[in-house]
Amino acid sequence: MALRLISRRFGSRILSYRSSSVASLHSHATSFGFQEVKEEDKSKLVGNVFTNVASSYDIMNDVMSGGLHRLWKERLVGKLSPFAGMKHLDVAGGTGDVAFRIFDAVNSVKHRALRKVDEESLEETQIYVCDINPNMLNVGKQRAAERGLRDNKSLVWVEGDAEALSFDDHSMDGYTIAFGIRNVTHIEKALSEAYRVLKRGGRFLCLELSHVDIPVFKDVYDLYSFKVIPNLGELIAGDRDSYQYLVESVRRFPPQEKFATMIADAGFEKVEYENLVGGVVAIHSAIKL
Amino acid sequence: MYRTAAKRLLGTGLTTTRLLRLPKPRPTLIIPYSSHTSESPISNQSLNPNQSNPTAASPPSTAREEEGHRRDESMRKPRAEFQEEQARVLAASLRHVARLGWTEEAMIAGSRDVGVSPSIVGSFSRKEAALVEYFMDECLQLLIDRVDSGLDLQNLIPSERVSKLVRIRLEMQIPYMSKWPQALSIQAHPVNVPTSFKQRAMLVDEIWHSVGDGASDLDWYVKRTVLGGVYSTTEIYMLTDDSPEYRDTWAFLDDRVKDAFDMKKSIQEAKYFAQDIGAGVGKSFQGLMNGVMQTMSRRGGSSAF
Repeated sequence: MALRLISRRFGSRILSYRSSSVASLHSHATSFGFQEVKEEDKSKLVGNVFTNVASSYDIMNDVMSGGLHRLWKERLVGKLSPFAGMKHLDVAGGTGDVAFRIFDAVNSVKHRALRKVDEESLEETQIYVCDINPNMLNVGKQRAAERGLRDNKSLVWVEGDAEALSFDDHSMDGYTIAFGIRNVTHIEKALSEAYRVLKRGGRFLCLELSHVDIPVFKDVYDLYSFKVIPNLGELIAGDRDSYQYLVESVRRFPPQEKFATMIADAGFEKVEYENLVGGVVAIHSAIKL
Repeated sequence: MYRTAAKRLLGTGLTTTRLLRLPKPRPTLIIPYSSHTSESPISNQSLNPNQSNPTAASPPSTAREEEGHRRDESMRKPRAEFQEEQARVLAASLRHVARLGWTEEAMIAGSRDVGVSPSIVGSFSRKEAALVEYFMDECLQLLIDRVDSGLDLQNLIPSERVSKLVRIRLEMQIPYMSKWPQALSIQAHPVNVPTSFKQRAMLVDEIWHSVGDGASDLDWYVKRTVLGGVYSTTEIYMLTDDSPEYRDTWAFLDDRVKDAFDMKKSIQEAKYFAQDIGAGVGKSFQGLMNGVMQTMSRRGGSSAF
C-alpha cells in the first residue's frame, strides 16, 4: 500500500504543487486550532476536547447551528440511500446521530412497505459506529438505550481510530464521517483507510464544516464563529476553550476543492461536493471502484 | 443533417451518450449555493498499474509536458471506467425489471450481479430514471444498428416505412410490457421530463432520417411533432392490447400513420385552395373561375404527400 501511495505521488502532480500541498497537510497535522502543536500531541489534545464536550455535545450542536445540523445529517443520509442488508461504517460518529438515521431509513415501516424487502436481508444490516473517544460512544449507547435499541444487533459500537481502522479490507458498503475528519491528525491516512475498508462500488460521504467565500456572508459567519460560539460554549457547556478550538479548526481545514483533490488522491472516483448554507457545511461524496 | 440536429438536441450529455458521441470530460461548473462537481481535477491514478510504471520512469526535465499529457489521459481513463461501470450495472439491472419493476431494487439486484456493492445505486442521479433513460438509449442504438445493417425500406412507400420503423422500436419494449406503465410515469415526472423529451425527440428524428425525409423549415418541426404524437398514442394503446402478437396495435399504428399522411395532403390542398381564393379576389370573376378550375385539376393529379 505504501508503494501505491508513492507511485501515485510521482504521477499525480507538478513538483512545486506537491511540495505546497505537503506543507499544508503537514500544517493540518500540527495545528490545534490556531496553535501549533507536536503531531504526537494533537490526538491527545483533541481527545481531551471531546471528553469535555461529550455530555453537552448534542445540545451545543443544536444551539450553534440553530437546529440546522439535523437537516444536514438528513441530507447526508439521503445522499447515501441506505439499503437493507448494508454494512455501513460511521466514523467519528460518537453520539450516533448519523447511525440512528441510517438505521431508521432502513428499518422504517414506510421503507419496508414501499420496497420488497425480505426479513433476512434486514437482519444482515450492520451499522458500525466507530469513535476514538469512549465518552462519546457512551453517550451514543445511552441514546440507543433510550430508543429501545440497546440490544439491537444491527448497531455495533466500536472504539477505534480513523487512521487505523480495525475492519477488514473490502468489508463496508458505505463509509460516513460527519464533523469528524477535521479532528483527525493525518487526513490522508483516514482517507486511505476509508478506501481500504470499502467494497468495490462502496460510497464515501463526508459532512464537514467548510469555507465560505460569499463576500458579506463570510464576514457575518466569521463574526458569529469567533464572537458568539465560544461564549455560547462557556454559557451552556462551561467550556470556552473547546469551542474556541472548534471554530479555529474549521478555519485550518482545507477548503472544498483541496479536500476533493485529497479524496481523489486516495483513489476514489466521481468525487463531488455540495455546499450547504453557502459553504458553511459541505458534503463530499465519492465512490470506490 | 439530422444526425447533427440530433446531436444538438442531445446537448452536453444528459443521457448516457454512448450512441452519437464519446464521453467528453465535463467542465467543472461553478454554481454558488448548489452542488459542485469536481471530477479529479489534477489526476486520478486509481487502479491503473499500467499507468504508474511509465510515470515513475520518466525523466524530470520533460516532466511538465508529460505530466500534462498524462494528466489528460488519466483524467479520461477513470471517468470512462466509471461510466462503463455504471452502464454495466444498468444493463444487468434490466434483467430484473420484469420481476421487480423500474425500481431501486432492480438496480440493487443488478449491481449484485455485476459484483459491485449496491451502494453504487445511491450515486446515480434520479435513480429509477437513470435506468429508464439507459433503456431508451439502448433501444435507440439498437434501432440505428438495425437500420444501418440493411433493413429493407426501398420497396416501401414512406408511410409504410414509418410504420415499420415505429413497429420495430415498439417491439423492443415487449419484454418489459408489464412494467412499462411505471416507466412512462417515471418519464413524466417533472424532474425527468427534459431528458425524456430529448430522448423522444431524438428517436423521432432518427425515424424520419431513416425514412429519407428531405424537408427543412417549418415542415421539419411539424413532421416530428406529428410522428411524436403517433408514437406516443401507439405506445399507450399497446399497454392495454392483449391481442395475439399485438396485432391490434399494429393495425392502430398503420391507421394513425395513414391519417397523418392524409392530413398532410389535406393541409396542402387547403393551402392551394386558399391561395387561389386570395388570388381570385384580386382579379376579376373570370380569373377566379380559372383559378378554381386549376385547383380541381391539380387535386385530381396530386399523388405525392
